[in-house]
Parts: sequence; C-alpha cells; structure tokens
Amino acid sequence: MATPGFAGRILLVNLTKKEIGELDSARYEPFGGGHGTAAAIFWELCVAPGGWDLQDAFDPRNAVALMTGPLAGTGLSYAGRTSVSGMSPQSWPVNWFCHSNFGGSFAPMLKLAGWDGVVVVGRADAPVYINIVDDRVTLEDARELWGLTTWKAQEEIWRRTSVHYGREWQELGQGQTLQRPAIVTIGPAGENMTRVAALVHGGGSGAGQGGFGGVFGSKNLKAVAVLGTGTVKVADPKAVRDSREWWETRWPVSAEFPGPAGIVHSSCMGCRGRNCHNRNTAYGRDSDNCAEAGWYAVAPPAKPTPQDVQLRSADIVQQLGLNAMETCFMGPMAFPVPPDFPVQPSVPAYTALGWYLKKMYDLGVIGPGTKFDTSPLPMQDYERGEFADIYGLAIANRIGIGDLLAEGTVRFAEKLGRLPEDFDTLLRLTAWGYQDHWSMPAVEWCYGNLMDARDINNHDMSLGPKPGLECADFVKILAAGTARNDPFWFDYSWQGERAYQTGIYSEAKARFVAWRQHYATYYKESALFCDWAFSNLYNRNSPDGRGYTPEAEPRFLNAVTGRNHTFEDGLEIGRRAWNMKRAIFVMQGRHRKMEKFAGYTYRPGASYCGFALELPVFDGSRWDWVNCRELYLEDRGVEQWKTHFYNTEGWDPATGYPQRRTLEELELKPVADTLQSAGRLGSPP
Amino acid sequence: MAGKTKTDKTGVSRREFMTGGGAALAGGALAGGALGIPLPAEGAQKPGAYPLSTGYLVYDSRRCSGCQSCMLTCSLVHDGEAGASSSRIQIARNVFDPYPQDIQIFVCRQCPEPLCVKNCPTGACHVSAENGQVRMIAADRCIGCKTCIDSCPFVPHRTVFRVSAGKATKCDLCADTPYFSKKGGPAGSQACVEVCPSGALRLVRELPPQKDNAGYDRDLTAPAVKS
Ligand code: SF4
Repeated sequence: MATPGFAGRILLVNLTKKEIGELDSARYEPFGGGHGTAAAIFWELCVAPGGWDLQDAFDPRNAVALMTGPLAGTGLSYAGRTSVSGMSPQSWPVNWFCHSNFGGSFAPMLKLAGWDGVVVVGRADAPVYINIVDDRVTLEDARELWGLTTWKAQEEIWRRTSVHYGREWQELGQGQTLQRPAIVTIGPAGENMTRVAALVHGGGSGAGQGGFGGVFGSKNLKAVAVLGTGTVKVADPKAVRDSREWWETRWPVSAEFPGPAGIVHSSCMGCRGRNCHNRNTAYGRDSDNCAEAGWYAVAPPAKPTPQDVQLRSADIVQQLGLNAMETCFMGPMAFPVPPDFPVQPSVPAYTALGWYLKKMYDLGVIGPGTKFDTSPLPMQDYERGEFADIYGLAIANRIGIGDLLAEGTVRFAEKLGRLPEDFDTLLRLTAWGYQDHWSMPAVEWCYGNLMDARDINNHDMSLGPKPGLECADFVKILAAGTARNDPFWFDYSWQGERAYQTGIYSEAKARFVAWRQHYATYYKESALFCDWAFSNLYNRNSPDGRGYTPEAEPRFLNAVTGRNHTFEDGLEIGRRAWNMKRAIFVMQGRHRKMEKFAGYTYRPGASYCGFALELPVFDGSRWDWVNCRELYLEDRGVEQWKTHFYNTEGWDPATGYPQRRTLEELELKPVADTLQSAGRLGSPP
Repeated sequence: MAGKTKTDKTGVSRREFMTGGGAALAGGALAGGALGIPLPAEGAQKPGAYPLSTGYLVYDSRRCSGCQSCMLTCSLVHDGEAGASSSRIQIARNVFDPYPQDIQIFVCRQCPEPLCVKNCPTGACHVSAENGQVRMIAADRCIGCKTCIDSCPFVPHRTVFRVSAGKATKCDLCADTPYFSKKGGPAGSQACVEVCPSGALRLVRELPPQKDNAGYDRDLTAPAVKS
C-alpha cells in the first residue's frame, strides 16, 4: 500500500524490447521519492546486475528516470518539480550518475495519471514518444516529430489527438478532463546526442544540467506526454491547505523576479507566486527568468546586448533544447579580474561555451590559420543577435565547429589541447567540467560540486550582511535553521590556523557540507521542494529573521503522507539516498584521488566572480562580515577537509569508499555486499 | 470562452435554447418521475422563481499566473483529494498561445436562470436557501444522469462530472466543503480566492452583466471593496 502522496506505481519502459511494465513504488519509499528513488532503481537495474562498466551515458543500458515527489499535485506550493536522474553525458571525465529537475506541470500531471515516475531503459529502433493517459501507456511513432523544435513537437503531439484541449471536456477511459497533456521533449540538440542538451517542458521549464536531452536522443526517445484525470490522495486534506496558508502568512512572498514593468508572470503548477516565468513578453514566452533569459548576452569588452535581443535568443535556446547554463555567453555578470588572473579586464561568472569560444578565437587558437575552422559561425558578427541563432543551430545539429562545441566546454577545451592549463586561469570549471556558477567564496557550494557530480546550484544560502542584524546573531539564526545549532558551520575564515580550526577546512565545514548534501538529496531532489525556495534558513520577511527551514518541510510532508517525521528523519532519508549515490559513484570509479578541484581555485583571488562576497568570519573572539573576494583554496586544507568529510560520512578516508557499518546502518547491506565483491568497500575505521 | 454559444443538433444555439428552458424542465422532471425518484422539497423550484445567488466568482484572466493552485485546492477542500478533473474551477493554459489567450478561466456563473437546477430530475442540483442561494448539487441526491451537465449553456460546461464518484458536482462557492477548515459559501471564504497568489479571483455580491463574458472576466487590479 502506497503512503498518501505517492501513487504507488512507477512506469518502467524498455524501448529495446518495447515492453511496458511497472515497479511498486512503496518499495522505494525509504529513499524518499524523486532522485533518491531513482538512485535505488538505478542501482537495481544498472549496477547490481553487473556486466558493464557504467562509463557511457549513451549506452542503451543507462536508465533515465523522471520522478515525482510526494507533494506534487497536492496543491502545496514550491513542491511540484520533476526530478531527472541517470548517467550524465555532460560530466567529465566520467559520466557520473547525476540529477537535474524541471518545473511546470509535468510532475503533478504524472501523479494525477497514477504514476510516481517513469523509468526508461533501452533504445528504440526508430524514434518514439511515450504517451501516458492514466493507466494507458503506449509507444507512439515519433519519426515525424524528429527534427522538430521542442515547442513544435509539443504542439504537434497535442494536434495529433485532434482534441480541442482547453475548449471542451474530453471523455477518457477513466475520467474526463479540460487539461492538455504535459509533455517533456527534446529538440535537435538532444536528437543529435550533444552533451549540452536539455529536456524542455512547456515554453521554458527545462532540465539542462546533466545533458539528459542527449540521453533521450541516444534512446530514440523524442518525448514523454502525460494526461492524468485522477486525484492525488493525501492523509490530511485540511492540514495540507492550512499549512500552505500558515506558511504564506508567516513568511509572505516577495516577487523574486519583478522584471521590467508591465510583465505578467506565470508560475509552475501549485506555485504560490515566485513568478519565475513570464506570460506576456514578446519573446521568451513562458521563459524561465534564469539562465536562458540571459543566455545570449555577450561579455565585456563587447557592448551590452540589448534586452530584446536577449529575450529573442531565450526562445532559440529553448526551442533547440540546449542547456542554457553550459552554452551561455553570460555577459551581464562580468567581474573585474585580480592581478593573478591575467585574462582580460573582466570575466563572466560562468566561463561557458559562448564566452570560451570567443576567447579561443581572440587568442588565435581557432579560426583562420588554425586547424580549427570556425565555420559556420560568423565570428565577426559575434555581438549581433544573428550570431546566437547560427551558434545554437550549429551546436544542436553538430554543423562545422558546432560538432566540437556540442561536446560542451570542457571537452571542447580538451580537443583544442588547452587542458589542464586553462583550468588554472581561463576556465572556471570547478569540478567535473561544470561552470563555477557562484561556488566560491561560499565554499560549501564548491565542496558540494566536488562530492556530488555537478554544479549543485546552491542558491539557497543567503550569507551577506543583513540590515539591523549583528553577524553573531545572524549565524545563530542560520545555525538554528539547520537544526544542528553549530554557528561554526558558517565561519568562512580562510587564512591561517583559524581556517583549519573553525573555518573553511574545519570539521565544522565538513559537517555543514554533509548536512547540505543530505538536505538537498532528500528535500530538494527527492521530495522536490523548489530549488529556488528551499532551504530557507534566514528570511528577510520574517519578523525574527528565521526562515521556514526546518519547520515547513516536515509540516508539509506530514500533512500529505500522514507520517510523523521530524526534520531529522528527512535528513536521514537524504543520507540514505546520498550513500546510495556514493555507492553508484564508487562503482563508476570514484575515488578520493579523483576528487580534486580545478587549478584556478588554488590561485589567489579565485573568488573574484563570487555573487555574495561578504561572508561571516570568526576571528577568534567575534563575528563579522568580511569581504572574501580574495579567498582561494590551499591543497593541504582541501585534503584535510576531505578527510573530515569522509569521516563525517562514515566513508574510508583513504579511498572515499563507504564503510560497511555506514551502509548497514542505513539498511543498505546488499549495497555493501556488492561493493565488497567489487573490492570497493571502505576499510573499517 | 465563456459566453460562446454551443449549437445543438437542431441548429439552435444553447443560449437561445436557454430561453425555452421550460421545455427542458418538463423533460427533466419527466425523467426523474420515470425513474421513480421523489423530488426533495428544496428541489421543487419553479422556472423563473429562482432567487439570485448572493455571491459570484469573478476573475481576471490577464492577471492569472496559470499556477492552478485554485484547481488543486478546490478539489482538496471539496473531495479531500487533489485533482484537476474534479475541480469546479478550470484553468486552461497553452503556453504557446499569445497573451492573454494563453490562459482561459472557466467558472460557474451562478446563473439567474440556472438550467442545471431547472433540469435536474431529482432536485440534487438546487438553489440553496441555507447557503446564500448558491446553485449547488447535493451529492446524496445526484444519480449521475448528467442532465445538469448537458443543460449548462456554456462551453465548456461548468458543471463537472466526477467519474470516480459517478456524480455531478459544481462550484458552490465552498458551501459544502468537508475538508475546509473555514466556513465556506457566499457568506464565508472560498478556497480558490484565498489561495490565488495573483489576486486573479474575487467574490462579488452583485449579479455580473450576463450579456457576454466581460462581467465575469474583469479587471481586478483595484483592491476589493468590502460589500
Ligand atoms: S490560483 Fe489564481 S493565479 Fe493560480 S491559476 Fe488560479 S486564478 Fe490563476
């Protein structure tokens, strides 16, 4: 019997065998749903049986999972995202098991159709899409959809059924509906198995990081469409509604993305109004106001890209199904460069593909007279909007130099013979080939990248000075929010012995990162609380500054599931799923020796691209906010931090492999047995 | 799309047909009688004898964010389960249509001459004196014949058929909401209005102009005035 909030079934589609089956989702509830459940299924389907090396994300045996969380479709806010998991073609040098997620209405609709998720293995012999209408699941011919943009493909799937969605009630086998199917699809970038391909749902809800669009392409899978006419059962309907009201009253929302005047915002299903999307811009319709909205904005010294050109380009990146973050130009976020980085007057926070391409051109590494022809890109028109069109098309269709760019920034650099040197200066790719984003100086972000398998998007830590608050009081608020009450988790001392005692190399920082990974693995990636809104340790709209973490998460989940879980119980689910992931990484070849940052992080001034530079620092007697723009890492310190981290997690500090005791404590004995057979179980402490 | 007419087999539009509602009532009553279902007291309402509802749900489709929180909350407070199909308010969204056609809102208009009430053979669909004259369906009396659904003069119909329950339902302004911790109905709170983050839904007291849709889909930029 599934717990309320869960549909109880996970769809399992084998495209090679054209088989449609299902898994009992109750078996996976100890992993929390979403990414945690996907990790457990990946282990069962891909790792435990053995027989392959788990290196190539485009191998048909890779299992890609679209999963919901228990809150999707319940009317609770900020909680309806769809998790995407599987081996990722984007990460470098290994295609680690990875996660991404997207908003919109897909997860609620999947749940209303009676499914907690869809897991796809194998490879179809010709393009197909999976069509789900409640219980009825079919593989449909997608040959005529192949080549269509993400937007056209969705419209074509709607058109095919000749139903006037949203105009007339439609009678279905088990119900009736006025809604149109929710569709997640790939564009040409995914079809051509680029490593920079997104999954796109609606106009602009996308899962870009991880490159799962290419995994769909490798499976000949164009889309998954779902229409659900059922309901989501919850344990306590009154408490579900009341908890949303309690939360909204206690922590009123402020529109995080006000945008230009006259913009009418739109939201994901169930959202209380964070307003991440737009309804009425001429271009970028329903765009997420994040990376894609600024995708084509060229970096200084080029002149600023006009906003209408940026918005128009946002359409292109979404229609082609490109990972906006990885392929962007990221001009608006350029920072002055410190002396140790003799690059150019300023560098964008993300040294992504669009920027790096130009840098290589300017340095004469590619282009005329080199062995890397830049056609079809009109490099002389780099600052004109048309460039974005051609650039996007060349990558998505692997035309000319687009074929190299389609491999993503790090592999492009490798092909040009620029590694590892560029890791020291130009290329801010913190770990596994992912963009720096804002991962320094607030180092839990870059540590998280290193221990996980991608940029962890740790937007939720708001650490800068707060009006009317002493720094010491601020860190107390943060510490209370974690429910562990250690203010030194938030000490960003980075020089001298203090850095080792309570600062960025300390045991406290290791515990904080472990907490963050457990929190995110469960609450953000498995229960699928919106990444933009959770966690919330500090909240400027609350009278005492306290955020809604750790109160809101268990309150919402318990109202839906009827459990009596504490916040800590959720962290323990996260720890279980995180250890399951660790075991997958280890079976893919992860070892302590591999967990190394790119060279630039060790150079003085490495944090100059940080977003929030003023961080809490404890000088031995008092707390204060200190500008940490100069923060950089010491190799000895990072190695000490790693030892603390592995010990905190119950992993062998010599190898980073989980120890049997840790896995058994988490009821993962079979996982320990498999690791042992492979010679990859951590030695006992 | 509310206010658009639907043409039946005779070529007579539903709205024109509405003016001949007496015939429809006779048919409905006959059907009820034929099934041997006694008409309950509250259902015995005569054509033309309907007191106006004391509340109307109006909306601003230009302000709506398309979050569909109203839908999920509607089904939750009424049925104890969250659903889209069972919601009495329907938000239909096509992100590829240009603004403002990308979002359409469909709600019951609490018609002055409610054909759903008029034609219901059992009196399940009734005007509730206890609940501010709102037009509502008593589930225990509904036989699932869909007459109220066929009678709704609007496309798409605002009466909703809950397939899982085998019964029709409709917006009652939250009068009958066993899973709502507040008092609902025209004199109380409406879960959809309360949950809407965009100020796109509002309860008003006066009967909106009936000629077309503009009386219901209106500019709600100005704050509500207490009436
Ligand atoms: S709750 Fe408000 S904003 Fe959201 S769909 Fe309903 S009417 Fe629109």
